[in-house]
Amino acid sequence: MSWGSISIALLTSLSSAASLFMVAAGLTLIFGAMRVINLAHGSLYMYGAFAVATIVGAASGERFWFAVALAPLGVAAVGVLIEVTVMRRVYRRDHLVQLLSTYGISLIMADIALSLWGGSPRSVSAPAILAGAITIAGHTFPEYELFLIGVGLAVGLALWLLLARTPLGWRIRASVEDAELLSVQGTNVRLLYTAVFGLGALLAGIGGALITPVQGVDLGMGDSIIVAAFIVAVIGGLGSIAGAALGALIIAVFEMVGTLWLPSWAPASLYIAMIVVLALKPWGLLGVKDNS
Amino acid sequence: MTVPWGGELAEEPVGDNSRGHSAAESEWVSPRGRRQQIAWLIVLVVLLLLGGRTLGVTNVEILIDSMQFAVFACATNLVIGYGGLVSFGQAVFYGIGAYTIGLTWMHMRLDFWIAFGAAPIVAGIAALLVGLIVLRTRGLYFALLTLAFAQLCYTVTLLQTGFTNGSTGIFGSLIPSLLVNPRNAYYFVFGISAVALLAMWFVIRSPFGLTLKAIRENRGRAEAIGINVFRHQLAAFVISGFFCGLAGGLFVIYDNATYPHLLDWITSGFPVFMLVIGGMALFLGPALGALVYTVAYTEISQRTQQWELIFGIVLVIVALFAPEGLGGLVAARTGRRRSWHALLRVARDRYDVLRGDRV
Repeated sequence: MSWGSISIALLTSLSSAASLFMVAAGLTLIFGAMRVINLAHGSLYMYGAFAVATIVGAASGERFWFAVALAPLGVAAVGVLIEVTVMRRVYRRDHLVQLLSTYGISLIMADIALSLWGGSPRSVSAPAILAGAITIAGHTFPEYELFLIGVGLAVGLALWLLLARTPLGWRIRASVEDAELLSVQGTNVRLLYTAVFGLGALLAGIGGALITPVQGVDLGMGDSIIVAAFIVAVIGGLGSIAGAALGALIIAVFEMVGTLWLPSWAPASLYIAMIVVLALKPWGLLGVKDNS
Repeated sequence: MTVPWGGELAEEPVGDNSRGHSAAESEWVSPRGRRQQIAWLIVLVVLLLLGGRTLGVTNVEILIDSMQFAVFACATNLVIGYGGLVSFGQAVFYGIGAYTIGLTWMHMRLDFWIAFGAAPIVAGIAALLVGLIVLRTRGLYFALLTLAFAQLCYTVTLLQTGFTNGSTGIFGSLIPSLLVNPRNAYYFVFGISAVALLAMWFVIRSPFGLTLKAIRENRGRAEAIGINVFRHQLAAFVISGFFCGLAGGLFVIYDNATYPHLLDWITSGFPVFMLVIGGMALFLGPALGALVYTVAYTEISQRTQQWELIFGIVLVIVALFAPEGLGGLVAARTGRRRSWHALLRVARDRYDVLRGDRV
């Protein structure tokens, strides 16, 4: 194997890690603050992708940037709606209630998506400025996927800045520690939770919107990303953004290695990675023990 | 008898055995209530026995489907309801039960009855191996790890096309000609399901079942009094896996085929919905949920394409407003009166104590 093909394989796994990270970061952010697992997170991702495909339509990439800016905001609005109607009622309930109600939401969203957009898959082409490809030692790599890696890094950095350096960030971190004390201090925790859920949905929307030029847009894409995003978040440790980044890298590299050497087992490698990590570290790589 | 705050509890009316029973109140059934339950059960069994002869073939098949789901849901409830461990991976053992029959038929043309007997045992062994790993985690991590196992088994079954026939599944005359007739299959599935449910009932009534409930209620305290929590939960997981495997075998009788999706996390979700819809606090709640689910699915999917939308809305409403399920609603109607009595009793106790202080 040449250096060229190895670096292409590495870049490919980095770009898939970037998009996995954006979805898993939203999931783990929501879990970190409110202790709920949102099974409808994949549906939000799918809505982001379909929104872009609808706005771009037949305009062949001209309106791509406009769509990418608008779609995640729409998804965040859907997330806020879900939080206000259902999620805020299940935060203090047991896991079973949380899993069932979010599963119910994902079924509802799937059916609405079917009637809004129909069952046929769509495709979106990359904007002209990123439509080219770079060449490394005779192998080509699409520019758009380089852009995706950059966005993944930027989103990670922005999240870190938000959580570590802003008033909203310290409130979110404080709500993880002691929500009651935070509300005594004068913060509207209810509103804060709505904001966090909206932010998580926004991240799913960004992930879905940006993946459109790389893969087809179809109704099943939410289901396939949600399991992968869980695995990423769980491997890294639920609630840890850095863990989500680490988990995304591990899974992407695992998948690449699997695809290169054991193609027929590659899809199973994801689950094997998770089972191995959890068997050794039951709270994930960067997670903290949670007795709830 | 004196108590720290100076009241005289000896003046309590003797013979009021409700004191101290509050935690177990929901479990306790009066002899009259027990007789009523048994009477209803006999009526149900007689109706089901008559149903196999009088109902149309479509309805007989719906009932076969409900009964195999009832075994699956009650077996899952051993882990979720009684063990307090939310598993989203019981389909692993359901699917293994079905594939034990499918694969031994496909590769060895093994006799159905031997394979059917082996199915729950193979599933139980699988549950032992999986349980050794998944029971190291708790709470949501447990739910997600069991989910990962379901997806792993599904993916492997899908990919190893040569061994498992992949996504097409295994078709053919897997079951003996005797069971191809739906009415014969009905009575066979009914008999096996009844025995399985009775066996599970004895399990949860046994000292082992009570210990399991104690662990669910307070894990720390159970550990402190010397109960080996891991071993009890593992045993519950294996017993549940055994009966899930049996249900998988019954599915093969119902459908005469096996598919990879029998092992995935969506299928793992079915018994979870059923036990929540039916109510996991009652032993037969999950079985009721299985019947409601199967009938509702058949009726609604015939009339509209929007089955998922309706099902999703029902799930959200049940989860938000009636997490005890239909069985819980029935129990709440009789239970509320009892809790009013308990409240009155507490008020009377307090009053007596206060009066004792003043005198």
